[in-house]
Amino acid sequence: MKTLRVAVVGCGKIADAHVGELQKMPGVDIVGVCDLESLMAEQLARRFGLSHFTDDFEQLLATRTPDVVHITTPPQSHVALATRALEAGAHVYVEKPLAMDVAGVDAIVGRARETGRKLTVGHSFHFDPPALEMRRLIAGGAIGEPVHVESHFGYSLAGPFGAAILGDPRHWVHTLPGRLFHNNVDHMLNKVLEFVTDPEPAVHAFATRRRPHAFGDVRDRMQDELRVTLLGKSVTGYATFTSHVSPVSHFLRVYGSRGILHVDYNIRTVVLEPGPTLPSQIGRLLPAFKRAGEYRRQGWRNLRSFARADFQFFAGMHHLIERFYESIRSDAPLPIAYDEMRRLAVVMDTIWAQIAPRGGES
Amino acid sequence: MKCLVTGAGGFLGGELVSRLLAHGHTDVKCFVRPGSDVTHLAQMTEAHPGARVEFVRGNVTVRADVESAVRDVDIVFHLAAAMKGSAADMFLNTVVGTKRLLDAVAAQPGTGVVLVSSFGVYGVASLSRGALVDESTALEPAPEKRDPYSYSKWRQETLFHEYRERYGFPGVALRPGVIVGPGGAPLSARVGVGVFGLFLSLGGGNPLPISYVTNCAEALVVAARNPTAHAVINVCDDEPPSCAGYLRRYRKEVRALRTVAVPYPAMQLVSRAVERYSLRSGGQLPAVFTPYRTASLWKGNRFSNARLKSIGWRQLVPTDEGLRRTLAYWREREGRA
Repeated sequence: MKTLRVAVVGCGKIADAHVGELQKMPGVDIVGVCDLESLMAEQLARRFGLSHFTDDFEQLLATRTPDVVHITTPPQSHVALATRALEAGAHVYVEKPLAMDVAGVDAIVGRARETGRKLTVGHSFHFDPPALEMRRLIAGGAIGEPVHVESHFGYSLAGPFGAAILGDPRHWVHTLPGRLFHNNVDHMLNKVLEFVTDPEPAVHAFATRRRPHAFGDVRDRMQDELRVTLLGKSVTGYATFTSHVSPVSHFLRVYGSRGILHVDYNIRTVVLEPGPTLPSQIGRLLPAFKRAGEYRRQGWRNLRSFARADFQFFAGMHHLIERFYESIRSDAPLPIAYDEMRRLAVVMDTIWAQIAPRGGES
Repeated sequence: MKCLVTGAGGFLGGELVSRLLAHGHTDVKCFVRPGSDVTHLAQMTEAHPGARVEFVRGNVTVRADVESAVRDVDIVFHLAAAMKGSAADMFLNTVVGTKRLLDAVAAQPGTGVVLVSSFGVYGVASLSRGALVDESTALEPAPEKRDPYSYSKWRQETLFHEYRERYGFPGVALRPGVIVGPGGAPLSARVGVGVFGLFLSLGGGNPLPISYVTNCAEALVVAARNPTAHAVINVCDDEPPSCAGYLRRYRKEVRALRTVAVPYPAMQLVSRAVERYSLRSGGQLPAVFTPYRTASLWKGNRFSNARLKSIGWRQLVPTDEGLRRTLAYWREREGRA
């Protein structure tokens, strides 16, 4: 296996996950980490035992000659960093969201195509164990033809990142076109777009702020509840982003012509609700037991995974990186198609335009 | 003397502003986070009608905010630091914030700095049990093996000394132990940790190096009188209680707590198993206990405050009275809850 020389640029919290997963993989050599603030690069290198860190991205590209660059900076810098890394001959993994808008996505994808280098984006939940299991079941015909999907993404503003956003009106999240949503809803929308495959599905979005006014500045204009419907020709979708529902859930329901799949990303279960097999009242009695048995079975399966040390928090990111690197090494198809990146960006731009606060507020 | 207090909205910050006013330092700038509640600070200043207490809101990691806060200040009391969050976030807010501040101080000759560091910067894992830790004890040789808080405080203090030597500004780092008082944390990790509804008592008979918040704030004010006399000063009160003794009082005076006392050798065995499992499982569960951290926190040391006394500090609140006030505060809080 060809050893890939990997560099990470942007040494905040999510960089820990990237370096942690990369260090578990054979055939990977982390040749350097970089941050505009040299102390941040230093701390990442020191905590993970890495030898090279720098605050100079050009120097990193020139002297460490990485095969792959992971970009884990805020989204505002993605286009500049990704296109530069591609021009320098590196393949690029960019954390979500890929860019600020569809023009940014086009710029990065265009440069990847021109340079012949490969690109992926951090849609890690797409490769989480429940997502892989869901695809296996659907391919096997478990639910018949998909008709409708519901994607639910819960978020806690009481967490450390939420506290940082609410604690600072100049936090970079406040300058994203879709603000709080923009930094999160890749994970919510890409699940719907996997089934709503139309090139341009109809999008209807509604957003509100449920928190009371507290600051008298840009933070009060940050909406925190988003609902989106996506209408395709054969499949429709509904997506919920909520920051007030407790528990903070993360699930997907896929409604098919012969059954419904309940995919829970938090507790890692994929449970099939088949159509009734027995008549009348008997048909209402038995499925609860069957469903309880299915959850129990999956609980034991997860426990066995845990015993094998195969119940990792960043399993999805790990699988995505593996597939991306496989694509680089053997020229296999990319884990995420460029067209999908663009379709998602178009939907996101449409949503931001629809939910923009009225009355001249920016 | 115009003073700047970063982290003025915090537990120690509020008390420091109070001590500064009590000592007649009436020109005080309070640097607080955007959105911080400063009601208690504003009320405090009402008792000092001649005082000029100014509030500056900003983020310590933002250069412009810090530069504007430091402008025309004679001495900076740098208390702002992250107490929780991910390792990277804590480092950003504690260390990068300090770098921004020191850059601003270096550009303004004559301004002094009193840095609040921590006992966590000492390299105590290799010391024998009960060894006395004073300012001559070596710094932590492997800070990345400690918890993220200690690592960020270690880098903050080493950065402070690098800047102090490079730019020659007057500066002293004070290293407090466990700061207690109304509003502080009720149970330090040195006493033990809660696990699944059970409190593991891990400090046993080790001295708990407390510094009552008033005494700690007093130490900062006294140290600021001559910030070139020493580079570092330990801050802790006399006659520390034992960790087990503190826990007994907490259970008696605040609330019942299901506790299990784990002797240090047993905790070392547990830590070794936890660390091995975490490594073998690829971090499926984090290594919350490691032999190194266990040795650093629970092997047990004594801490000297001789240097602090030598600069004229007096313990204003006796240890027992400080504990009584701390526990009374938590009893009232728990009662309301």
